[in-house]
Amino acid sequence: MPMTLLKCDSTIPEREKHCYIKAPGEDSTQYLPLANVNTIPGTLSERGCSFCGAKLVIGGVLKDTIQMIHGPIGCAYDTWHTKRYPSDNDNFQLKYVWSTGVKERNVVFGAEKILKESILEAFDAMPNIKRMMLYTTCTTALIGDDPKAVAQDVMDERPDVDIFVTECPGFAGVSQSKGHHVFNIAWCKEKVGQVEPKITSKYTINYIGDYNIQGDAVLFNEYFTRMGIQVIAHFTANATYDECRSMHRAQLSVCNCARSAGYIANELKKRYGIPRLDIDSWGFGHVADGLRKVGAFFGLEAEAEKVIAEEVAKWKPKLDWYKEKIQGKKMCIWTGGPRLWHWTHAVEEELGIDVVAMSSKFGHQEDFEKVIARGRNGTIYIDDGNELEFFEVIDMMHPDIIFTGPRVGDLVKKAHIPYINGHAYHNGPYQGFEGFVNMARDIYNAIRSPLWKFAGEDIRDQGASAMDEEVKVAV
Amino acid sequence: MNEKVEAVVEYIQKNCLWQFFSRSWDRADNIDGILTKAGEIFAGESPAQETAADKCWFADAKILIAELKVKIPWFAAADKKEVKEILNGVKERMREIAIDKSKNEELKIPNY
Repeated sequence: MPMTLLKCDSTIPEREKHCYIKAPGEDSTQYLPLANVNTIPGTLSERGCSFCGAKLVIGGVLKDTIQMIHGPIGCAYDTWHTKRYPSDNDNFQLKYVWSTGVKERNVVFGAEKILKESILEAFDAMPNIKRMMLYTTCTTALIGDDPKAVAQDVMDERPDVDIFVTECPGFAGVSQSKGHHVFNIAWCKEKVGQVEPKITSKYTINYIGDYNIQGDAVLFNEYFTRMGIQVIAHFTANATYDECRSMHRAQLSVCNCARSAGYIANELKKRYGIPRLDIDSWGFGHVADGLRKVGAFFGLEAEAEKVIAEEVAKWKPKLDWYKEKIQGKKMCIWTGGPRLWHWTHAVEEELGIDVVAMSSKFGHQEDFEKVIARGRNGTIYIDDGNELEFFEVIDMMHPDIIFTGPRVGDLVKKAHIPYINGHAYHNGPYQGFEGFVNMARDIYNAIRSPLWKFAGEDIRDQGASAMDEEVKVAV
Repeated sequence: MNEKVEAVVEYIQKNCLWQFFSRSWDRADNIDGILTKAGEIFAGESPAQETAADKCWFADAKILIAELKVKIPWFAAADKKEVKEILNGVKERMREIAIDKSKNEELKIPNY
């Protein structure tokens, strides 16, 4: 079937170029959704802004860094209470929020003065912290502030501090993807190469495009450590600012999220000759293959096999138990971009689940090439899906479970369909061997929960006794 | 021969991320580097590992050959000459899918 115009999009026919239903014999050379282009006016997009991509996805993960948001206080809303990237230093990055709190008077008279005051105040309030990310937002970009000049002024006055300025206001691109891009390229150009790491192993890597969601990176760091490999920098999971300045010393870049961080892996290849090895980090088969490839690169095949054997022996029986209970269920993946192609093959091969619809908020056409190559026939592939499209897809495919973000998740809950947070997880980590069992457990628990049935029933006219009966039946 | 080429292509499409790197030159390098080394590994030769890029292609090629032997029943028993021919055919098909006929509009952007 060619590109498809859903019924709800009859008034915005341009959406046809963003929705594809795969038929037997077709591949991505025949049909490929448009992606990473402007959202069509009138569509109820679920995308985030470009500032979000820079700050909330990448920079904000660093565990030893003040995250100064130069803009109105509203731009600092989506911070500590919504993100789930812990660190091993008591979660410094999740506890605090920094903003210059720009007001109307600053828009009229300029906000550079308040920016400098805020930077100094933050460093003074946290004298042990010497690193800062500074982000522009729509407001401060539009009024023409020069945050790089202000940052340089502060660094001249205080040589012990270092500030990285990300000039990526919300409107800079069509989605958060632009923020990933700007951050990656600027970081590699301006900061990588400035710090020499302490080398503790003959084998060194960067682990790129992982953000330690509920401890993902902790698992992978442990696998690499058991293989005798030193991770010079996680970009940016549980990492310090200076670790990420020393990425030029790694022998290999192992890349997980190619969408948010493929840029820096490419730049490291171009500038420093560090090769890029892409892996999938969800699913037993994918993870084992990834560890084997890293092992083959360094001649550490036996070490990789030992880790794989130990982990599979420990976790595979648990995975099998869940697989028996959830195979045959239908799943939607409506997330950012890469998790579509990271997950679809893994859950289908290893859990027996059918992925019936996938939607990407900020994926590029590269992501759709990957997911169409991996995904099933009959599955719906959507770029920048909107709310009405999601309802229509639910009616078409009748999914048993939907992995998506909190915004779309609330919509899904109203349709009384089990929803799991596909960005930050419910009870992760989900990566690695242990993590994939966690993912299977959350699917099982969500599908078996009786709450969805209760939520769809209206028993007001039957009185309290009917409600009691319902509860007894469920228990 | 075509059927055998398509069987390997199907495996690569579903499993290998190296085919879909960011730009056309990255994809061309990977397709050529990995599939050349895959043929050498299958033939029992020792692929060059002089550069970091060589080592990276070797790593992907080694796992690819191991998986093909398990996942495609006839592959392990095929002779060396036939596998080299098949992999040459796979190279052509992968270039077609991932580069020449790709609808990805970002493939030729000069910068990352």
